[in-house]
Amino acid sequence: MKQKIRLFVILCTVIFSLAWSAAGVLAASDGKVLRLALTMDPNALEPAMADERNAAIVSWCLYDSLVAIDDDSRVIPALAESWTINPEGTVFTFKLRKGVTFHNGEPFNADDVLFTWNRGKRENIKYKDRFNLVKNVEKLDEYTVRMSTENSSPLLLRFMAEHWAMLPAKLMKKTGEDKFLAAPVGTGPFKFVKWSKGDRIEFEANKNYWKKGFPKAEKVIFRPIPESSTRVAAIQAGEVDLVTRLSAEEVAGLKGDANVRVVSYPVDRVYYIAFNNMTSGKGLPTEDPRVRQAMNYAVDVQSMLDALFNGKGRPSTGFVTPGNLGFDKAIKPFGYNPAKAKALLKEAGYPDGFKIGFACPSGAYTNFQQVCEAIQGYWAEMGIIAELQVMESGKYWDLEAKKELPPLFGDSWSETIGEAMSRLQGALGGNSAAYSTWWDEKIGAMLDQIKGTVDEEKRAELYITLQHYMQENPPFVYLYEPVTYEVVSSRVTDYKPRASEQYYLFETHIK
Amino acid sequence: MGNNKMSEPQKAQGHQGATGLGVDQQKKQGVMPVLQYVWRLFWRDKPGLLGLIMVLILVFCAVGAPWITAYDPVKPNLRDAKKPPVWMENGIKGHLLGTDNLGRDLFTRIIYGSRVSLTVGFLGVLMACSAGMAIGMAAGYFGGRIDALIMGLVNMILALPYLVFVVFIAAILGRSLLNVILIFGLTDIPIFVRIARGEVLRMREAGFIESAQSVGASTFRILSTHVLPNLIGPLITLATFEMSAMIFYEAGLGFLGLSVPPNVPSWGNMLAVGRQYLTIYPWFATFPGLAIVFAGIGMNLLGDWLRDALDPRLRRMKR
Amino acid sequence: MQRYFISRVIQSLLVLAGVLMMVFFMMHLTGDPAGLMASRNASPEEIARLRDQMGLNRPMTIQFFEFAIDVLSGDFGNSTRYHQPAMDLILERLPATVELASISLFISMIIGIPLGLLGGSNPNSMVDYLARGAGLFGQTVPNFWLALILILVFGLHLGWFPTFGRETWRFMGLTLPTRSVFLPACSLSLFTLGQLARFTRSAVMEVRSEDYILTARSKGLSVRRIYIQHILRNASIPLISIVGVQFGYLLSGSIYIETIFSWPGLGNLLADAIGNRDFALVQGIAFFSSFVVVILNLLTDMAYATADPRVRYGE
Repeated sequence: MKQKIRLFVILCTVIFSLAWSAAGVLAASDGKVLRLALTMDPNALEPAMADERNAAIVSWCLYDSLVAIDDDSRVIPALAESWTINPEGTVFTFKLRKGVTFHNGEPFNADDVLFTWNRGKRENIKYKDRFNLVKNVEKLDEYTVRMSTENSSPLLLRFMAEHWAMLPAKLMKKTGEDKFLAAPVGTGPFKFVKWSKGDRIEFEANKNYWKKGFPKAEKVIFRPIPESSTRVAAIQAGEVDLVTRLSAEEVAGLKGDANVRVVSYPVDRVYYIAFNNMTSGKGLPTEDPRVRQAMNYAVDVQSMLDALFNGKGRPSTGFVTPGNLGFDKAIKPFGYNPAKAKALLKEAGYPDGFKIGFACPSGAYTNFQQVCEAIQGYWAEMGIIAELQVMESGKYWDLEAKKELPPLFGDSWSETIGEAMSRLQGALGGNSAAYSTWWDEKIGAMLDQIKGTVDEEKRAELYITLQHYMQENPPFVYLYEPVTYEVVSSRVTDYKPRASEQYYLFETHIK
Repeated sequence: MGNNKMSEPQKAQGHQGATGLGVDQQKKQGVMPVLQYVWRLFWRDKPGLLGLIMVLILVFCAVGAPWITAYDPVKPNLRDAKKPPVWMENGIKGHLLGTDNLGRDLFTRIIYGSRVSLTVGFLGVLMACSAGMAIGMAAGYFGGRIDALIMGLVNMILALPYLVFVVFIAAILGRSLLNVILIFGLTDIPIFVRIARGEVLRMREAGFIESAQSVGASTFRILSTHVLPNLIGPLITLATFEMSAMIFYEAGLGFLGLSVPPNVPSWGNMLAVGRQYLTIYPWFATFPGLAIVFAGIGMNLLGDWLRDALDPRLRRMKR
Repeated sequence: MQRYFISRVIQSLLVLAGVLMMVFFMMHLTGDPAGLMASRNASPEEIARLRDQMGLNRPMTIQFFEFAIDVLSGDFGNSTRYHQPAMDLILERLPATVELASISLFISMIIGIPLGLLGGSNPNSMVDYLARGAGLFGQTVPNFWLALILILVFGLHLGWFPTFGRETWRFMGLTLPTRSVFLPACSLSLFTLGQLARFTRSAVMEVRSEDYILTARSKGLSVRRIYIQHILRNASIPLISIVGVQFGYLLSGSIYIETIFSWPGLGNLLADAIGNRDFALVQGIAFFSSFVVVILNLLTDMAYATADPRVRYGE
């Protein structure tokens, strides 16, 4: 008995110490490996299927589109060397880059563009509408394709950069969709090595990348870490090189740490309280633009930012943010002006305010419920009694898509292509957009006009006009654009995140 | 709950259990001697006494919250946000345990949190216990098909991975106090059914029920005057443990963001918020955590005592 | 004996059928997955078309029977988020969870059972207080709270263990755990450890008071012998069932611990699926873990019945 116990103890010790040292060997990383924490495991490694930021970031390491968007939000060539657009903005002709190969050695040519477009239109693709925009793709020769759209589509290039990852036609036809997605192949800066779900995704540098000298890192490892406090501990312990989506409080403790650097930047996401003139808000005082202005003036956005977000964040001036095309610096936020709000309400015939329903999602956004409660308080000072209903976010969005929320509701809308069109169209498209509860014919007409204008300068001007109109006839109470916090190991150089919370890793490397 | 279900041998076997302070016995002795007896039992078992005191403190906090503290548990006071406890550097007077991220007094929130926890625990257990008792009695008394059906359902629910289901239901229903009570109250019925049925079966075996029937007592009368009083002991014991478990699981739901709405001061919610600040403001999560442990220990000690006191078999052994 | 086994198997099958029904109808209370699958810029028509495609417009009973038939053939439906069979995703995550669960069970057994034995055989001694304390501690300390503290102390400040994730070690064709499992396993074992300590303690106390032990003692048998021959053996029978139940719990109940440690197991997948409202996947995980628990219960009951013939008559 005693001997058995002793043997057992010895065995345990041996196994334990072996396991211990094995872990030590594995954990040691050589200098050129970038280790990044994700907030969630990607749903798929393919940009047209990627359902949120993590998936998009990881996916775009493997692929290229025909065009790309640079750090200044301009469209630049990628797999297309150059392109021409007809004056109506309906026919796009691309000259493809020669000598580009996929990771499996297959050369990239016009057939792949055709294949990518055909696949993108399939029903199970999340962003199929961004492929359906193109009505026809023609192969003019091996390295020239012509695409045509029904209406003028100036945003097509930006959509392409966001979702049209060029896929290897021959390989995919051979392996089929599922096998391909298990070990994806693209032309991008990194090659797929392995993905163990929920644990890690490993890529290695594509030595034959068409952009010479890139990527800088030899290997990239993504690790999903859903719990934000664990992310903070992991970067402090030096187990990862980059963590994202932290709060101001979480990074506050890292300010003195010499091994890490805190990065913060404003995110292209607008928080707002929406009005409704299509369903539940019909016939209510909020149909009067003066009332809507008053409700904007009544809310002290800056104080809320100070109190709830350590003063970080930008009071919104509308649905076009500073990083977007056609942002007008001249427009100022409404600002807190209770006297003016009172006067406007009186002018509109509601000197004593009114009662109205108000909803807010819980659990989806940082401190948003507190924001809604504060707003309720500000309005109460004007005599506007908003009956706040807090709902679990999943159910909330269900109702929002059915236009069944109360006449006032809070939400946010992000944008990833550097232009505010999808946000504007989605929230103001009236009956053509599921989440829209506001229909203003003038705004609708202006949006159509912008969609039909190819020239970026002219489009920018139109956006400016629209912003002014949406200031006088606000369809929303504009709140704020938040700031996000990331922590980067000091070993990492050339890390450049964008307002869309997207980052591209081909320049980033380890010192 | 869930895994508590099989935690003690008595519970696991279900059929044994307790009659200890049989009601007939109590009636003969009158009230004062019983109180004295109870007190002697407590005095002999010091942990039980401690448990009783802890639970009484909790109840006192929950009932007297507005008199214990002058602060509002919900209204933010951003000027005084993130202050440490009073004995630490920068702690300010008047905020004993410091303030949270929105400047609300932590002590106040913990005191009010006991209200939420006890409400969830008490109403949840009340619901589970009364429903479970009725169903279990019916199953044990009528036997046959009714019993088979009820026990089939009970075994089915007990076979489920408890937490997975609680989380699943909570995710579907959304956050509200009522939902949390309903979830715990409903999912906890089976275990009470099992205990109640076991007791009834035991009494049937002992011949109590047959003898009452032979005298011509009605079903209602048998159940209410003979069966019910004898169920009270084991059910109260179980209820104490289950209450502690509900408080524990409320914290778990809060951690996943599935408990009561975020502005409600519940210990689970406070822990969930506090964990984001663990490195810089560790007291945000420490105190609610301690409160949960406090409540749990109190109720478990009291439950242990109740079980020992109400179960003659175990009492004999202790001496 | 055989009859008992057969009736237990039939009972388990019925339970599983019931679980299937419950999971399905609860899932359909969740509202409309179609709205969630469409992109934010979708038009109302698009959502309606999607709903049609997913077969959500058909009568509930037809949907249920289809679902039941699919499940019987091993198809739990496709995850709405991953566009992959839920079963594949579950099986992919299973090894990590099994690793964590077995090591937690191991830790709680090697600490909990001896503690309960010692405590139960020396009532009101220091060891007994320790055993009772461990029992209380395990049942009252929220394990996710402990997990965060362990990460801060042992992962960050002392640096003895990784703060997150699972590292494995390939040795002679086997995938073996490394120290990365230690912190999550410790946090997860807390509850089970307490349960086992409490349970063993009261089982020992109960057996100790049985008449045959008293007789053995009066006959002058050595204390050691009494322990090994009588108390341990008798206490171990109910212990089997507890261990079985606890293993089921560890498999399914690791949702917090796996999320905090970013452990790539089932619990983590479940939290992720709930967060993304991927109810097809939640449904799959719920059914799968019920299945495992029911099978484990069945097996432990059978082991129990083989070891202790009284059980069969009891039923």
